[in-house]
Amino acid sequence: MDETTLKRLLGIYYFFLFVGVLAGVLYYFLGHPHFIFLWDRIPAFHSLFGFTGCVLIIVVSKALGHYWLMKDEDYYEKRRW
Amino acid sequence: MVNWVHPGLLILLGSLLIPVIKHRALKKIYFLSLPIAALIILVLTSYGIFGDIPFSTWRIPFLGYDLVFGRIDKLSMVFAYVFVIAAICMNIYALHVDRDWEYVSAMFYVGSALGVVFAGDLITLYIFWEIMAWSSLLLIWFRGTRKAHEAGFRYIMWHLFGGTSLLAGIIIYVLNTGSIAFERFPWGFGWDYLPSYLVLLGFIINAAVPPLHAWLPDAYPEATVTGAVYMTAFTTKSAVYTLIRGFPGVELLMWLGAIMAMYGVIYAVLENDGRRLLAYHIISQVGYMVCGVGIGTEIAINGATAHAFCHILYKALLFMGMGAVIEVTGRSKFTELGGIYKYMPITFWLYMIGAFSISGFPLFNGFVSKTMTVHASALIHQPIIWLLLEGASIGTFLHTGLKLPWNVWFAREKPADVEAREPPKNMLAGMGLTAFLCVFFGVYPGYKILYDMLPYPVHYEPYALGHVIEMSQLLLSTFLGFWVLRGMLHGEPKISLDTDWLFRLAGRKFIWFCEQPLITFAEIIDGALRKIADFFAWLANNPAVASRMLVALTGAIVFKPFNPLNEKYERDLNELKRVYSDEAVHRMGIGTGVLLALIFFTLYLFIYLSYGVLWR
Repeated sequence: MDETTLKRLLGIYYFFLFVGVLAGVLYYFLGHPHFIFLWDRIPAFHSLFGFTGCVLIIVVSKALGHYWLMKDEDYYEKRRW
Repeated sequence: MVNWVHPGLLILLGSLLIPVIKHRALKKIYFLSLPIAALIILVLTSYGIFGDIPFSTWRIPFLGYDLVFGRIDKLSMVFAYVFVIAAICMNIYALHVDRDWEYVSAMFYVGSALGVVFAGDLITLYIFWEIMAWSSLLLIWFRGTRKAHEAGFRYIMWHLFGGTSLLAGIIIYVLNTGSIAFERFPWGFGWDYLPSYLVLLGFIINAAVPPLHAWLPDAYPEATVTGAVYMTAFTTKSAVYTLIRGFPGVELLMWLGAIMAMYGVIYAVLENDGRRLLAYHIISQVGYMVCGVGIGTEIAINGATAHAFCHILYKALLFMGMGAVIEVTGRSKFTELGGIYKYMPITFWLYMIGAFSISGFPLFNGFVSKTMTVHASALIHQPIIWLLLEGASIGTFLHTGLKLPWNVWFAREKPADVEAREPPKNMLAGMGLTAFLCVFFGVYPGYKILYDMLPYPVHYEPYALGHVIEMSQLLLSTFLGFWVLRGMLHGEPKISLDTDWLFRLAGRKFIWFCEQPLITFAEIIDGALRKIADFFAWLANNPAVASRMLVALTGAIVFKPFNPLNEKYERDLNELKRVYSDEAVHRMGIGTGVLLALIFFTLYLFIYLSYGVLWR
């Protein structure tokens, strides 16, 4: 994929991201949201949750992997039990 | 009224003709027509040709109990439908394969899964449960690699353990209650519920609930390209079906399911093998279903059922897409792939339809089922469950929708030694049909059709404005997180230790125990016994002479102090030894004896049972 296509696609994406957040905020103030949990009272909570959740999943899992779980591919063949 | 034909047995027994058909095209047509015939039966059943749903049929007397092969109600029908529809797509995908027995084992697998779904009693359930385990094992072994061979052994050991637990639970349950009907199991705390615990253990091993899940990501990626596609659908989802039947509303399952949904996601971050990443996402997705079963409300059971339905389709599609890459390139690791978009764009886009579906994009089938289960957790006010499930949605899109396609189709220039082109047409056709269904059941009227098939009436509108906006925000912002941290998501040539580390350790220790202390002990006993046996064998050879010899021998020892007489005895003894013919006795190991006894008892049991069934 060349640079210009990538830039254009990213531009479209940012537009949609903006629309998503905007829709969330508008729905919060103008629509009829149901407040079930505490965080439902934050406007556009799902955008926030999506981003932080994504970062947390990557960082926490990678940390778990690098410090504990990940081993060389021939681990089970090499290991002396 | 027409007699119902069991679609599972039709596929299972019908598949035995596949190796007999010699004409290649005819063989393929026949192979494809098996699930199509089953689908026709199901449609006719829905139209009430065989009786008004629910009804039960195919009652067969067995050992004083009534086996029920056909319990037809809304729940069994919806699972049967998706099994058969998926089997049609998978058979198209597998048409280019020329291994008859792989076809047969795949059809045994599909047929036995249908058998589980229609089983109205526990004995029938158990029989089909075991057929399912063994036939799917063959789908792994047909890969023919050493890794597949070993993973297959581990796979079957898990399922034998689960099956044994299930059988033990069933036996105690039947002895306690006197009924073999497969209904909701009693649940509570204490010894009285032991059969329920054992049966549940059997079920959750097949549902791959952590920490008993390790067989799934271990074995599925080692199966054949087409075999793995079958495996994604039937074992775990038939387990979800049995959980819905037997253990709805068990709170333990709600927690296990939610943890499971997140567990698969964490491992998927670390994974370098494409199909293994998808396998971890089976665990994650089945987590939603198990959680729904645990919540147990009508909407949650509906959600779990709908999610099983949709999951089978999109997960098959994802495995087909990744399988197509493996088929043409021979590679499955992210570190060895990349930049093949130019060569396989159709595969990419078909895969992406599966990825959008599993991520729950609006207009795809995952959206109409996943949100229902998550919504059910909100309705019972469980914030932790909700966070785990919704968080797992983020991870799902992150891995199957972004990390995997990024690393396989883009990420870097195509490695020079990788050959890439579109896969055979039948594979594309199978994927195309599955992709069509993924979209069809995600939009009107498809999702209404799906909702009508669910066990309870549905009062849930997935396309309510709030749901659509929330899901869109979640997915759009997940992409942002991915784009920012994409540098961290390259594959690493590593494996991740899972709970099977513990079981492998235990296995090694057990084998050591058998080989060292146990064998030493056995040799002591065996040696002593063999000496006694040797003596009797010697004695039996010629008892008259042998007993005289014994007397002479005793005399020689007793009269040793009186020298003159001793000479005579020694002479006699030598003479007797000369007369005594000592033939070599051929002796087999103790295992042979055990084997012969086993064969005898098996034959006896077989004759006894056939007598009981056929000549009553």
